[in-house]
Amino acid sequence: MTLDQNHPAALLEARNLQHSFGNHRVLDDLSLRVGPGEIYALLGGNGAGKSTTLNIFLGFIKPTSGHAVVGGVDPAAEPDRARTQLAYVPENVALYEHLTARENIDYFLHLASAERDRATVIDPALDAVGLASQARDKRVGGFSKGMRQKVAIALALARNVPVLLLDEPTSGLDPHATAEFNELLEAARSRGIATLMATHDLLSAAAVANRIGFLREGHLDEEIAKAQGARFDVEALFRRYSEKRERLPA
Amino acid sequence: MTRYGAELKLVLRSRIAAGALIFLFVLSALAVWSGISVTQRQDAAIERVQAASASDLATVAKVYGQPDGDAGYGAYYTFHLTWDPPSALAFAAVGQRDIQPFTLRVRLLGLQQQLYESENINPELALPGPFDWSFVLIYLAPLAVIVLMHDLVAGEREAGRLRLLLSLPGSRGLWLRRLAARYLMVFAALALPLAFGLVLMQPPFLAGLGMLLIAALYLAFWSGLGLLVAAMVRSSGAGAAGLLGCWIVLTLILPTLATSAINAAIPVARGTDLTLAQREVIHGAWDRPKKETFDVFFVNHPEWRGTPPVAGRFHWKWYYAFHQVGDEAVAPQVAEYRASLAARERWSERSGWVLPTVATQVLLHRLADTDLAAQLAYQDSIAAFHRRIRYFYYPYVFEELPFTAADFERLPEYQPRGVGGSIALGSLVAIALAALLLLMLGLRRARRLGVNQASRAGGD
Amino acid sequence: MSGATIRIAREEWRALARSRVAVLAGALLVLLILTATFISLQKQAAIDEARSQYQAEQVEEFYNQPDRHPHRMVHYGQFVFRPLAPLAFFDFGVDSYTGDMVFLEGHRQNSANFAEARQSSLMLRFGQLTPAFVLQTLAPLLIIFLAFRALAGERERGTLRLMLAQGISGRQLLSGKLLAHAGVAGAILLPALVALALMASSAGASLAQAGLMMLAYTAYLLVWTLAALLVSTLLPRGRDALLALIALWMVTVVLLPRGLPELAAATETAPTRIETEVAIGRDLKSIGDSHDPDDPYFSDFREETLARYSVDDVLDLPVQYAGLVSIEGERLTSQLFDRYASEAFARQDRQGTLVRNFGIASPLIAVRQLSMTLAGTDLDSHQDFLNQVERYRYGFVQELNRMQAEQIPAVDPGEDPRIDASNWREIPGFSYVEPDPLAYGSGRIVATFAILALWLAGLALLYAFAGRRLVWIAR
Repeated sequence: MTLDQNHPAALLEARNLQHSFGNHRVLDDLSLRVGPGEIYALLGGNGAGKSTTLNIFLGFIKPTSGHAVVGGVDPAAEPDRARTQLAYVPENVALYEHLTARENIDYFLHLASAERDRATVIDPALDAVGLASQARDKRVGGFSKGMRQKVAIALALARNVPVLLLDEPTSGLDPHATAEFNELLEAARSRGIATLMATHDLLSAAAVANRIGFLREGHLDEEIAKAQGARFDVEALFRRYSEKRERLPA
Repeated sequence: MTRYGAELKLVLRSRIAAGALIFLFVLSALAVWSGISVTQRQDAAIERVQAASASDLATVAKVYGQPDGDAGYGAYYTFHLTWDPPSALAFAAVGQRDIQPFTLRVRLLGLQQQLYESENINPELALPGPFDWSFVLIYLAPLAVIVLMHDLVAGEREAGRLRLLLSLPGSRGLWLRRLAARYLMVFAALALPLAFGLVLMQPPFLAGLGMLLIAALYLAFWSGLGLLVAAMVRSSGAGAAGLLGCWIVLTLILPTLATSAINAAIPVARGTDLTLAQREVIHGAWDRPKKETFDVFFVNHPEWRGTPPVAGRFHWKWYYAFHQVGDEAVAPQVAEYRASLAARERWSERSGWVLPTVATQVLLHRLADTDLAAQLAYQDSIAAFHRRIRYFYYPYVFEELPFTAADFERLPEYQPRGVGGSIALGSLVAIALAALLLLMLGLRRARRLGVNQASRAGGD
Repeated sequence: MSGATIRIAREEWRALARSRVAVLAGALLVLLILTATFISLQKQAAIDEARSQYQAEQVEEFYNQPDRHPHRMVHYGQFVFRPLAPLAFFDFGVDSYTGDMVFLEGHRQNSANFAEARQSSLMLRFGQLTPAFVLQTLAPLLIIFLAFRALAGERERGTLRLMLAQGISGRQLLSGKLLAHAGVAGAILLPALVALALMASSAGASLAQAGLMMLAYTAYLLVWTLAALLVSTLLPRGRDALLALIALWMVTVVLLPRGLPELAAATETAPTRIETEVAIGRDLKSIGDSHDPDDPYFSDFREETLARYSVDDVLDLPVQYAGLVSIEGERLTSQLFDRYASEAFARQDRQGTLVRNFGIASPLIAVRQLSMTLAGTDLDSHQDFLNQVERYRYGFVQELNRMQAEQIPAVDPGEDPRIDASNWREIPGFSYVEPDPLAYGSGRIVATFAILALWLAGLALLYAFAGRRLVWIAR
């Protein structure tokens, strides 16, 4: 398919995505765009359609109609090529526990067919995510969720992909770890990576996102962008968020 | 570290997988050793029998090899030894060699009363079947494949890595690589001890290669099935249970059911019948005019028609003639008996077209020449030898020539039948097709994983 | 038994009944037992009919022979067929590997021929579908499949902690599970039990044998039930429990029973049939050669005979001397046959004992031995058959030799002396006396039951211990 020539800067784009499981409509005309260096928080409760959106970008499912574009590639048509453009960090990052952090990244780089000189990219990536050097050669079996996330994001940086997809990245993190995670995303942003995070954590979204989309019953209700250099009004966001949630059927 | 190297290392990190592989390797080595020891025992037994038979023959020659020796007596007391040495591949697939005789002595008497003698075996030891490499391949190797394959996909899901893995580009090749790594390890655990045995026993190069090819195809079948089931199930427990179920059905239930059906459908009572019938013909001859016997005998042996006629109660030429007539009289029963055995063998091979375990068994033992067909071929070679014996003695007996010590030196010697191993082509095609089909189904299923399983695994 | 125990067992049954796989596997096994019983009964009936018909025909044929010289009848010989024991359908034992037909003649000992295994393709070696095969090999697998999750599953789901937290004791939980799965084992046994009982009451088999057989199988399946539950208790994951149990099954049911005979066969060199024949021939020559007029043994025999009848020349004997020599010759040969046969049987027994002693490591070896012995299809009963056959062979050959000595004139017998065909009818046909396993095998039966009891006691002890420590195990 031809790319949208009007918005050459969008690395991640959903255009009128519709998806149904049987009679149940999960996504209803979802459109969003994430540009380079942008962090987009897709905010919504359980069942709002966040995971389905991620699955479509990942090429795990095909939308009933509409298109997704990842780094210029349609994952429904060319899932493998789309995946070369993205890195995915699941809610709970599970790694090969008997391998060290460094070995895990090395192995996953292998699987991702990254033919680049692995030795030279792993350490800078681990530096960028701030994983202590004494932890790099420890088996990840004893790692906390935060540390595993660092490994996963280091993998994304090492692969040098333009798009980062995060699934509930802050659930289960303590406040300190959440703060560290937010700094991690700054590292990604500074490299011009387009980040989409699906989350129900409004505080974290407000802290790091450039834009927040409220997803409700598969439909993007509202999108709020943060002005340059400004901050989100968290209280206002929270009022809106809970107002929308209350409108959900009981 | 290459990509395959990484996969191999990953498999070996799993204690269960590494344990299964080591276990398989050790058993395969033990089985090769055990098979070699069986064939060496049989070779040794053949040598002992040859020595015993030679000393027996020397005694007979001393007594009956006189200047005026009567060939009738010589032939009556001389047992001619035949033997069927194990093929160089027999160590890998002992087959029926533990229950079929591999040495047999025949005299100039009716062949059919001598051909079916049994060996002194301990039936209790034979009951469970030999412990050889073919057993390890057919029964145990699939279990190793199951241990290595059952959680191929579910293991990643249960560890929570599946979505991350599938989100990577090139994950389509992942399952093929992992399958190949596991396949190669199981194959190596099986094949290395066999290769050692092959070097030791020196079978023809192509025959040894054929053995490895059969193992490769059989393992490919199980690996394909493993991948298919692994890609279908939600949990590693279900994968293990499902694959073990397949194993039980394919190695225990269906072959025994098929055996029952074949043996019930094709009775082989003709063996008993022909033995009984032959006795009646042979012993009845004592009470019939000798002319009757000779008339029948000369139909197939006209060259002795002009020899001196028999007078008196007894003459060896009459004695050996009615033995031969006894054999000829039961020829139709013999043919029927042989046909029923061949039919059993044929239907077994046919059931291998749908049962890869049976196909593998047929292939291995046909190649090693240790199956029922091998025993029948041995019997054929005994029959041919018996014919040579007859035509050796007949001139002495019918022309009433003296049978001397020098003639004892000229006794026909048995030549063991040549290499009889062959490839059962139908079974080979069947197992190759089964392997191909399951590998294709398994890989197709694994490729679709990204679309189905991962999204369900996420849940929303 | 407490109410909680029964409640737990009922829940387990309900869970199994609701699992489609469990119901399917159970139904399949019961179907297999029924099929195996049906097929085996048919096979036994066919074998029985064929063998008894052949046997009857053979006796008739023998009687219908014309006037002959008795020595002709010595070589005309007799065919005997081994009848199957009434319970053989349950476990054909070694019957398929031993020939069922022996040709008996003078001064030769022929082998039993036409064994089923020699006339079948190699597929037979996968096993024969008999109730014994299903119970020995397949039933443990079903028990494993139904029980491996019994406790490991509760642990994986987290319900184990919940139950223990609610005050259910480990002992109650484990005895409930045991009750449930012992019940399953009982259900597996039931069709076989019914078949055995029916056969035992209708076909004249010994009820005691059938009863002991069921006891053996009950103990065997209980061993597997306990083993499965124990492993399920000790291992944290169902998958691990399944693999461990299958490994245990593999080693005890498939590997040891195949490997140990190989070991036993390697320990002793069994002489081949030909070596034995040559050795017997040599031994016979060394005792005496009746064809050699100067042979010391037969010279002595002649002198003794002449002295016994108080005559000076063999031609003055009231009986035919050649007949007497035949009788003596047969006696010598037969002694050697007996000696070599008992050596061979002793060797086979030593090999069997070796396997059975190692059999402590495998309850299958124990139950297989018991099953064959009680079904009357073990090696001992085959050896007993061969002994009976040899005794019969000796008897009828000597009877014919006696006829020769007494009825063939010693002087001027003519060119073709014969005796009256009515003589043949004086020789009774072979009548096989079924050996009583409870008599000849009592020692072994007790020893084998002791092995099974040892397994049961050991596993029960461990299981009880696991019950006491369940809270600690489930941490």
